[in-house]
Amino acid sequence: MNLLQGKISSVMNINCLRRNLFSASSALPAVQLPAKKELHFWYILPDEVNSANLLNQYLEILSPCEKENIFRMRGEQLKKRALLARTLVRTTLARYQTNCQIDPKSLKFRKNNYGKPEVDWQYSDDWSLPPLHFNISHTSSLIACGVTVDSTIGIDVEEKQRRLKNDILAFARRYFTLREVEMLTGISDPETQRQEFIKLWTLKEAYVKALGKGFSASPFNTFTVRLRDSMEKGTCHASHLISEVPEIIIESSGDPNNPSENWQFVLLELLGSHYAAICMEQDMISGGNGSVPINLIIRKTIPFVKDEFMSSGTDVVVVGGLTRLLGPA
Amino acid sequence: MAAKSALQPLLKYLRVPVQPLSQNIFSISPHLFRRFSTEEVRGCFLDKSEVADRVISVVKNFEKVNPSKVNPNAHFQNDLGLDSLDSVEIVMALEEEFGFEIPDNEADKINSINLAVDFIASHPQAK
Repeated sequence: MNLLQGKISSVMNINCLRRNLFSASSALPAVQLPAKKELHFWYILPDEVNSANLLNQYLEILSPCEKENIFRMRGEQLKKRALLARTLVRTTLARYQTNCQIDPKSLKFRKNNYGKPEVDWQYSDDWSLPPLHFNISHTSSLIACGVTVDSTIGIDVEEKQRRLKNDILAFARRYFTLREVEMLTGISDPETQRQEFIKLWTLKEAYVKALGKGFSASPFNTFTVRLRDSMEKGTCHASHLISEVPEIIIESSGDPNNPSENWQFVLLELLGSHYAAICMEQDMISGGNGSVPINLIIRKTIPFVKDEFMSSGTDVVVVGGLTRLLGPA
Repeated sequence: MAAKSALQPLLKYLRVPVQPLSQNIFSISPHLFRRFSTEEVRGCFLDKSEVADRVISVVKNFEKVNPSKVNPNAHFQNDLGLDSLDSVEIVMALEEEFGFEIPDNEADKINSINLAVDFIASHPQAK
């Protein structure tokens, strides 16, 4: 390394120095930022994380406030789940470093007016972080975090085997739209009906989370989520589209013949055990004659231990929505 | 006139006994005072502790909930580990229990036992 290179790296290191508070062995591998129209989906399986050492390591990267919230909860499983959720968010975002390593502990968060969590860039120690959007969802067996750049996002995950306490149609009549109730009523097999219900729930929940104003602002019976009819609107799908699954669209109850083109959905089946719905704001400028597919990168992670790319196959099945699953760069 | 005199005893019977109560109008809780108002006979407020008991029993009956964790301060997510679908299911069960519809734009706010009790106890439609 010549003298000039040495000078440049030492200038950079001055800024990095105060952030390199953890040992090299627990560093998070850097990851390329999501491109436009690209979504990174990270998930962790709580059942795979049992080492007390590792869990304590995770506790160390949380803010005092987050730690306190966890200590106040009752039940080991609940605490573990909450810990893993915060760890997933912090470690995931910290990977998108541009200049130097980001200490996941240094990230600051705030809530919008309606309680939706977001990164507080103003007070974050690291000024070089790009405007990342994220959203998390957890079930007892899977915790997921979706990340995009410059695009609002909402995700929701549910266990496929989830049972409802109430009767499905009674629930749907109370909370969903007429069109959705009709769709569900038309399914004669109870098991299929239940699964379609869960899919519908995750999609609607992902949409409301993307909007970021809470259940109250967008009651579920004010919008219908459904599959786009192939005959509808003469949409032109990109010919090189890999996925043949139907497109998912959303229409407001007030204006049913005018589906909203602002939002795009993807519905996945993960590990044969979970449905994951993703809702992303569509960039209207590049809209053109039809929707552009969302590029999706799915990774399973145990922070500080290992990350795995998940590609299309038995573990990840695209159930709906225009998407392209990308592999390792 | 005959009609008027026939009406008089009836009117006396229906008259709200305001006079004896007016001296201590401020020491009587609005709840008690309103019970005697003829306009509000249809919308009586339920007793808060009765509401609390009924809410707690609805929540305890929820399969996913560990009954030993249910106390008046329990938060659906943080204490009982329930997610958004569970919370909506509980709201629906509370609607069935108390016989009135909880508007969707209020359902968001009911995420703990205390909030549910406060909400229901302050709604005249609750049965």
